[in-house]
This record gives sequence, structure tokens and C-alpha cells, in this order.
Amino acid sequence: MADVRLASIRKSFGTVEVLRGVSLSLASGEFVSLLGGSGCGKTTLLRIVAGLESVTSGSVEIDGRDVTGLPPEKRDIAMMFQSYALLPHLSVAENVRFPLRMRRIGSREEQHEKVRAALETVQLGHLADRRPRQLSGGQQQRVALARAIVSNPNVLLLDEPLSNLDARLREDMQVELIEIHRRLGLTTLFVTHDQEEALSLSDRIILVNAGLIEQEGSPAEIYARPATQYASSFLGAANLVPAMIREGEAGPVALLGDGQRLALPAGIAERGAATLMLRQEDLMLAPRGAGGLEAQVVTRVYLGARSRYVVEAAGIRVRVLSGNDRVFERGAAVSLAIDPGRIRVIEG
Amino acid sequence: MSDRTENLLLAVPGLALLSLAFFLPIGKMLVLSVSGPDGPTLEHFARFLGDPFYLGILWRTVRLSVVITLVSALIGFPLAYIMARVGPRLRLWLVVMVVLPLMTSVVVRTFGWMVVLSRNGLVPDTLRDLGLVGRTFSLMQTEAAIVIGMVQVLLPFMTLSILGVIGRIDGRLEEAARTMGCGFLGAVRTVVLPLSLPGIVAGSLLVFTLSASSFVTPNLLGGARIQVLAASIYKSVTQTLDWPFAAAQAIVLFAGILLVLAPYVRMTARRHG
Amino acid sequence: MVRAVPIWVRIAAVVFVGLAALLLLGPLVVVIGVSVSESQFIAFPPAGLSLRWYREVLSSGAYLSSAAISLQVALLVTVSATLVGGAAAIALNRRRLPGSEALATVFLSPLVLPTIIYAIGMLMLWSALFGTVSVVTLWLSHTVIAVPYVVRTTLAVLAEADPFLEEAARTMGASRIQRLLFVVMPQCLPGLAAGAFFAFNISFDEAVLSLFLRRPGLTTLPVQIYGQLEFSPDPSVAAVSTIMIGLTILMIVVIDRILGLNRIASA
Repeated sequence: MADVRLASIRKSFGTVEVLRGVSLSLASGEFVSLLGGSGCGKTTLLRIVAGLESVTSGSVEIDGRDVTGLPPEKRDIAMMFQSYALLPHLSVAENVRFPLRMRRIGSREEQHEKVRAALETVQLGHLADRRPRQLSGGQQQRVALARAIVSNPNVLLLDEPLSNLDARLREDMQVELIEIHRRLGLTTLFVTHDQEEALSLSDRIILVNAGLIEQEGSPAEIYARPATQYASSFLGAANLVPAMIREGEAGPVALLGDGQRLALPAGIAERGAATLMLRQEDLMLAPRGAGGLEAQVVTRVYLGARSRYVVEAAGIRVRVLSGNDRVFERGAAVSLAIDPGRIRVIEG
Repeated sequence: MSDRTENLLLAVPGLALLSLAFFLPIGKMLVLSVSGPDGPTLEHFARFLGDPFYLGILWRTVRLSVVITLVSALIGFPLAYIMARVGPRLRLWLVVMVVLPLMTSVVVRTFGWMVVLSRNGLVPDTLRDLGLVGRTFSLMQTEAAIVIGMVQVLLPFMTLSILGVIGRIDGRLEEAARTMGCGFLGAVRTVVLPLSLPGIVAGSLLVFTLSASSFVTPNLLGGARIQVLAASIYKSVTQTLDWPFAAAQAIVLFAGILLVLAPYVRMTARRHG
Repeated sequence: MVRAVPIWVRIAAVVFVGLAALLLLGPLVVVIGVSVSESQFIAFPPAGLSLRWYREVLSSGAYLSSAAISLQVALLVTVSATLVGGAAAIALNRRRLPGSEALATVFLSPLVLPTIIYAIGMLMLWSALFGTVSVVTLWLSHTVIAVPYVVRTTLAVLAEADPFLEEAARTMGASRIQRLLFVVMPQCLPGLAAGAFFAFNISFDEAVLSLFLRRPGLTTLPVQIYGQLEFSPDPSVAAVSTIMIGLTILMIVVIDRILGLNRIASA
């Protein structure tokens, strides 16, 4: 394992500038996620670390060495592709052995031993002689993972590896990835557009937007304090509500569209026009008259353990995620409340 | 070595082969068609286009090709449709049935027709038994023979061309048409036929080109009296040894085919932007 | 109960396919039938049954030498067309050459041009440059018309392959040559193999080019047959033709095993 350093990376495809000056670094053994919507440049960034794309300007360092001009085959990396990219004409074991063969790592016996160990790690030892097409999606995925870890690379690169799996398999694989990372400690760069994945797997999250880094920090930091609208829309299902922040008797107060007010925590310094972030799971519904904003239920979607409501209050619609111990029907008059400490004010 | 270089190296042998052994010969032929004892001349073209004998050959070639194309389309479309809609095992056999004549040498196929259509052949025999024709009736050395023989040779091209397109038509479209009140044939007529048009057109162009330029089958089945353009070219090359004239005829043939192809190519180019 | 396809349509379809089969395969059946005829007159159905014509063919100098030439050329063409066409297909599939679309058209152009036009062009050029034609002329010209088939079958196979495999191989440390050997070649193999068999079949059966590019002593089998047909056919022609049909059937079976005919039919 090794550290990775990217300095002022710019990348243009023709006239389109996809990365506009990105600098980041990974400490040895760190699991970092690149999170962002499609087109934000995160995959390009990963491919630049892999060497599959050149940079227009900037430098890439792996383990202290400048690898900016080196092709992928000369970098000590391993990559897991979204479509797994297993070689169809080779067996599972031969697929996993491939990087060892190409990089000429170890003797034949040693290679077979490493392959065995890697397949054990992903629990596929019993399928070593099958062909990829005989395996299920989840199994193919794990072969791809075994193939990526077998050469003990300096950097492990993962390009949305779980997006082709169904929900159950995804959760299982996420747990496995966490386990494997704990055990092997490989420096890992993980690209995803799924915030839950990023939150659950990473030591650190780097949020990418339109070719620039918008925010970075630990999962807890980013989730609790998203700095911009983009950040908050990515992490947690949040409602963004425009309001006017005024000084009230007991501290700052947010004035909403129809004159209703929300109390804000004393620490909020902003005044004037602002955007409030109210998390779906933080908003609380109660029968009308229980205090809070006057609101009306527009729709309700049953989700099993919870329901998602669309509620209209103060001239705007917000989504509320609420437990099903108390249920409100369409059209019901309700009151909407939130603990002031859970309100965030964001810019943008 | 860069990616570019590697790809170039891979493509170069093919490009060299085609430039030297394909495009160059065609160029040579073009040059020859306008060459005369005193320099470039159009006399060979003038000779061809001014002589009613040759114009008759041209007309016959075109006429026969059109008939062959029409017949192939009429047979090819239902055949392709049936092939597309049956189960995979049966389709495999039908594909074999269509591909086998395609992959057999043209002389072998034509020989078969010579046997069947000649005076003692199966077809005239049968027709004679049915009292439809006289005693010395033979289908050999007639234009009908050429059409029949060529249709067998070219039907696979038409069928496979249409099959490719029909294969991509969603079967549920026909089902939808049926639920909206169409009968079976109605659904075929209103849904399948318009959507297979590209395949029919492509197949027709292919068949027309191949018929117009074909010479083994028309020569053997039509005999010396019924000449098509390709046969005339063969004669000029091997018998009268008038190569410039042969080249000119080949250009006329090529130009005629391009004339037919051009509107189609422009049409598809426009559609694909 | 609703029947999706009415009964009468089914019956008509069966009859139609039967007639189509007759049209397409009839002449071949006739040829095979004539080849086992006893009499020296060509007639179908054959008067008596005998294998004498096969014996004649297999001991005929003319047929054997022309078959030898056909075989020689076909084998040469198989090798050259597969190498050239396969390499071209790999380059075309990568789509990183300028004007790849135009290039693809160039490689497939021999399919579009009527063979007779190409044949006389080749004859004229060769005569002007080298004089009389030789096996090399046949080899070159057959290769030219066979290459598009190899390109097509190989491209068809490559188009279905995972486009990320080469990139994945790079991240696994594979150099350029390693990628060609261990990733690209195995991917192409079915297409190359099928293309090779197509090339053999095309060259062996080829009549038009061979009719123009010939001289005494340089006659291919189809040309030999054509000569017989023009003047005085006896059932020995049928025997040779039947052997050729057998060869073709063999090719079809092999190609189907490798690639699947259904795939080629819809390519």
C-alpha cells in the first residue's frame, strides 16, 4: 500500500474541461470515496490515477513516485470495473492469476497460492474452475474483487463496482468490502454516486461537482455539515427551504413564505435571505394544534417500516419520513415541527 | 509505440492489399476504357451506346435484373418472415436451406438447372405430361431460364437481408396491431412490411447489382443467342480481345449500378445524419 | 379460443416453405442424382445407379490437376485473408483510427463491386505489368474478395465483446503484445476461424475471377466444370459437383459449430 497525491489536475476532452484543477491526497491505507452525480468528473479522476486517461496538466504521485506519464501497466495499481471485465475465455482461477502472470509476480506455485488465498477471501474457492459466464452477477463481482487484490497493489481503484447489483447483494458486498479493507489495509479510491455507499465504506469522502472538489471530510462531518446545496442534496434526503432570517426575541428566527416562523438555534449567525436544510427524517408530524407549522398532508407513500409524506406548509412542499406508529391520511391537517438544533443553514 | 501506431500497423497490410490489388486494377480499367491508338478517346463508349445491338443487350440486362429482383423480393419477404417467426431449431434448418445454395459454387448450381430445364429435364417433362406444351419444348436458352436460375442464386441474399431487419422488429408490435382489430395478414401488411422496408430495399439493391453483373448463369442457361452485358464483356475479353471496349462496357455496367444505388445511399445517409 | 396465427396461414406457410426448399435445393439434389447415374446421358431421375463417374473423376488428369490448383490457391488464400482481414478487423474495432467509418467501407468494398468488373481490371493490370497470369494472380485476387468476409465475421465477434477488457488488462499489467496475445486474440478466435472457413469456401468455389485469370495449365476446378458445361457435359461433371457440394456442407457444419449460423445470418 502507498499514498497517492494528485496536484492541480486539469483534464479536457477536446474543448470540454472535465476536471478544472483538482488536488487531493490519500494516506497509505485510507479508503476514500469520490462522490458526485454523473458527469461531475469523478470517474475521469479515477481513470487518471489508473493511467487510463492522460492529464492535460497536473501531476500524479503514487508512493512518492511521479507516475504522471506512465501507462497503467507500469503503475502498481489494480482496478475493479463496473462491468467486472472478466476474461470470458479463462476460468475463474486463471482470471485471478492474470495480473500475477502479466506483472510476473512470483513462481507458478506462489501464484497458485496467492490465487487460492484471494478466492478464499471472497469465499469463492469452490468455483475456481468455472467460467465467468457460469456465475451469477454477484459471484462475477467477487471474482473481479479477488483479481484486484491478488497482486497486493499500491492502490486499489474501484469504479462504481456495486451499481449493477440488486439491493440485497449490494448490502452484502458493502459489508465484504469493509471487511477486506480492514484485513488488507489497501489504499483504496472508490467512485460512486450513491451517498449511502460512500457513507458506509469510507474513511473520507471527497465530493466532486463539475470538475472541482466541492467538499471533503469524514462521513460524519459531511453528513452533519454539508456546505452547499449540492452537498446537501447528495447526502441525506433533505428539503431546501428559502427563508428570511431575522432577529427574534429569543434568538434568530426564520420567516417562511406565509409568515410562519421557525425557531433557529442561537449559534446561527447568518441574517437575511438564506436557504434552510431540513432533513426528511428530522421533521416530525403531529395532529394539528400540537405546535409547530400548520400544514396539510398531500400524499403518503407506504414504505413498510415508515412512510414518506409530501406535506404542504407555508406555501411550500416538503418531504417527511415518519414512522408508522401514527399514520396520517391524505388531506389531513397536521402540524410540522423540527428540533431547531437539526436545522442547517446553507449557502448557494 | 502508441495506440495509433499499433492500429496503423494492423490496418496497413489490408490497406496495401486493397490499394494495390483492388483499387489499382479498377483504375487501370478506367484508363483503358478511354484509351485509343491516338490518346484518350470516348470512341468505345460511343460505339457501345450508338449500336442498337449493344443497347439491346443493356436493355435486356436491366429488364431481366428488374424481374429477378421483383421475384426475389416477392418470395424473399414471406420466406424471411416465416423464418423470423418460427422457433430457433426450425429456423436453423431454414437458414441452412438458404445458406447452402449460397455457398455452393455457381457452376454447380447452374448445372442443376441445366438438367432440370433442358428438353429431357424434369420441368418440361412435367409440363408436357400436363399437356401444356409441345414435344420439343425446352426451357433452356430462354430468358425464363435465366430468371429462374438467377432467382435461386440470389434469393438467399434477399432473404438474409430482410431476415436481419425483421429479426429486429419487436413481435409485440404485431400483437398490438391484432389487439387493435387487425387480422393476421393486416398486421403483417401494416406493421411488418413498412418496418422491413430497409431490408427489402437493401436486398433489392444487392440482388439487382448481382443480377446485372452476373455472367455464368445467364451464359449457361441463356446460351449464345441471349446475351447479357457481362457475357458481352467476357466475349470482348476472351474472344475478340478488344480490351478497351470490354473496359468501356464494364464502366457502363458499373455506372448503371451506381445510378440505381445512388438515390438509396443518399436516402440512408440523410436518415443517419 | 384465439389462435394467433390462423390455420390457413400455417398451411400456406408450410406449402410455401416446401416450394422454396424445392427452388433452393432442387438443383443440388438433381446434381447429386445425376452423379450416380449409370448412363452417359444426363437425365434426372437417373436411369440406373452406378458410381462409375466418381471413378472417372478421381482418375481424370484434367479434374485432378484443376482440383489441385483450386486447393493450393484456397489454402494460400485462407492464410492470407485470415491474417490480413483479422488484423484489419482488430484495428477497425478499436475505432481509434481517423476516419474509421470510411475505412470500414473501404475494407468491405470488394463485396459491393461486381466481381466481373474487378476481374477484368485485374487481368488488364496484371497483363500490363507482369504478362501472363499465374497462381499468384489468383491468390491475390481471391484474397481481395475473401478479406471482407473475414473482416465481417471477426468484427461481429469483437463487437459483442466487452470493450473494457483491454483496459482491464492494462490495469493488470499487460503490455501491448501481451494484450494482443492474451486478450484480443482469444476474443477474435471464433470470428477468425469462421472467416477462415468462409475464405476457403469462397476461393475454392470461385468461378468468375478464375475464368478471366486463366491460361492453359492454370485452370481451377470450377473453371474446368464450366468448360465441360459449355461443350459436352457427361455425368462426370455431376460427380465433381457433388464432391464440391459435400465440401460446402462440411464447411457449413464447421462454421455453425464455431460461430453459429444464426448469428451470421443476422449479421
